[in-house]
Amino acid sequence: MMGAVRAENLGKRYRQGEKEVVALEGFTFAFPQGSTAVVGPSGSGKTTLLNLLAGFDLPTEGGVYLGEVALHRLSEDERAEVRLRHMGFVFQQWNLIPTLTAWENVAFPLFLAGLPPRARKERALDLLEKVGVLERAHHLPSRLSGGEQQRVALARALALDPPILFADEPTGNLDAESREQVASLLFHAGQERILVLVTHDLELAARAERILYLKGGRLVRQEVPGPSR
Amino acid sequence: MELFHLVLRNLLARPVRSFLTLLGVVIATTSMVLFLSFGEGLRRSLAQELSRVGPAIQIVPEGMEGLGFSGYPEITPEEYRRAVAAGKDLGVKRITPTLFLVRGGFDPQTSFFFQGLPEGVAPDLLYPGIKPQAGRLLPSEEGAIVGAKVAKRSQLALGNPLRLSPRVELRVEGILEESGGLADNLIFVPLKPLQEVLGTENYTALLVALNPGQKAEEVARALEARLPGLKAQTTGDVMRFAERALRISDLVRFGISLVALVVGGLLVANTVMMSVYERTREFGVMRALGAKRGFIFRLVVLEALLLASFGGLLGLALGSAVSQAINLYTLGQVGLALSAVTFRLSLFALLVALGLGLSAGLLPAYHASRIPVVEALGRV
Repeated sequence: MMGAVRAENLGKRYRQGEKEVVALEGFTFAFPQGSTAVVGPSGSGKTTLLNLLAGFDLPTEGGVYLGEVALHRLSEDERAEVRLRHMGFVFQQWNLIPTLTAWENVAFPLFLAGLPPRARKERALDLLEKVGVLERAHHLPSRLSGGEQQRVALARALALDPPILFADEPTGNLDAESREQVASLLFHAGQERILVLVTHDLELAARAERILYLKGGRLVRQEVPGPSR
Repeated sequence: MELFHLVLRNLLARPVRSFLTLLGVVIATTSMVLFLSFGEGLRRSLAQELSRVGPAIQIVPEGMEGLGFSGYPEITPEEYRRAVAAGKDLGVKRITPTLFLVRGGFDPQTSFFFQGLPEGVAPDLLYPGIKPQAGRLLPSEEGAIVGAKVAKRSQLALGNPLRLSPRVELRVEGILEESGGLADNLIFVPLKPLQEVLGTENYTALLVALNPGQKAEEVARALEARLPGLKAQTTGDVMRFAERALRISDLVRFGISLVALVVGGLLVANTVMMSVYERTREFGVMRALGAKRGFIFRLVVLEALLLASFGGLLGLALGSAVSQAINLYTLGQVGLALSAVTFRLSLFALLVALGLGLSAGLLPAYHASRIPVVEALGRV
């Protein structure tokens, strides 16, 4: 366990032709254990923030710290190792590997971590059972519904039991029933982890323990939803 | 699920493209194996033929290479006598003068190769082990002993005439059993009629047999020192000359097959590059989940290597099968197995195929491993 995720004066600027675009500016926040939703309109910097927190991209200002580790100072491969051991991801597009079956997708991070084949399969099937898609374990992603794919993706994110979970619009492409199932599983998994949820969906965000509002690349408001949620 | 498993899954997910690429590599490897197998076949045949030739040394005029089947006879009777004299104190057992004459066209199928032998010398002195299947082994003054394949091809039987010129005609007195060697394609006749046809008393070559214990190389060098204008070549010399010629021919044939190989390599590179472009997001997901750059690099290179090595193995198998078919044909036609897929050729073909795969996979692999995660995931 590396401790809390901390962003300090985090910023990202890039050039678009002659113009400089500020995607994120002066973002400082320590993400505690539990769920934190990041909301805001399109172009507010939500995805940029998640890219920087996960080490997919490097900031132009400030930094990201996992406990004492400065993520932004690590090499590309070192950041990949940190992601493998300490982070799980759930994307809007599910992003399952199309040539692998459901259980093989879940086992993929375990394979990267060097677990023996039998242990990988046992763990993968166990997780698929927990997210309720065990009977679809041997199907390719193309044979699964959106909700099933997202549950497989959630099982994959939890494969190595990471302390940090990132979710980017995890219910954006799902119908109402699947949306509820995935949201329940996600917040359940987030109870004992640092869950960072990026979403447009204010109803979903309201289920988080705290909400951060972004606008124009800046953190404009923090809120702890009331008991009415 | 291992790295190999991942690669295989991806190739099988696009079966038509993988199959067509594989076919390209198979054709490229097959053509290379076949082209090079002719050199190997000639090497093997030559070594077998030379091992069947009795004399350890052939004396030929300087400047002549090989066995001297072609060319005008230049060794004079005087030079022959000097050679006999020189050989007496060098451990030479016997020196047999001989003369070659080719009659017919350029095509070995329609040509007749005559070898003249001195009076009283039977062909088994030069080609040990050969036996007559009909008639005799030692030709009379106007007789000819015909090799098995020539007799079969030209439907020659005992008593048939062989006209060498309007004035010189011989009769078939013996037909040899098939030996699988050079003698199958020769007609052995006395020296005199051949010399009469050519209007000379000269010889093409002097064939030197040594007493037991003599070293061919040493005797050849001593003979050369005593016989100016003549060259004494051992079987090893002939092989070395042939090897030089075959190497040049190998290079030419490899150059031709290189075209097919380059096309095969481009096919693999194209397939792998296409696959990389199509799977950019997939690689992004892998990187996001914790795969390092080296993992992606190995994944792509292995895909190219797998295509190339499997294609190489199939190409080698197909090349060997076609080589066997060619040999069946040429054995029937000229009595020689012209093609040989040897161990070193097989190894070379597989290494070339693997090299092809590696070089075709390196650039796409480098590209795939360098795509920024945010771009690969479409999260810019």
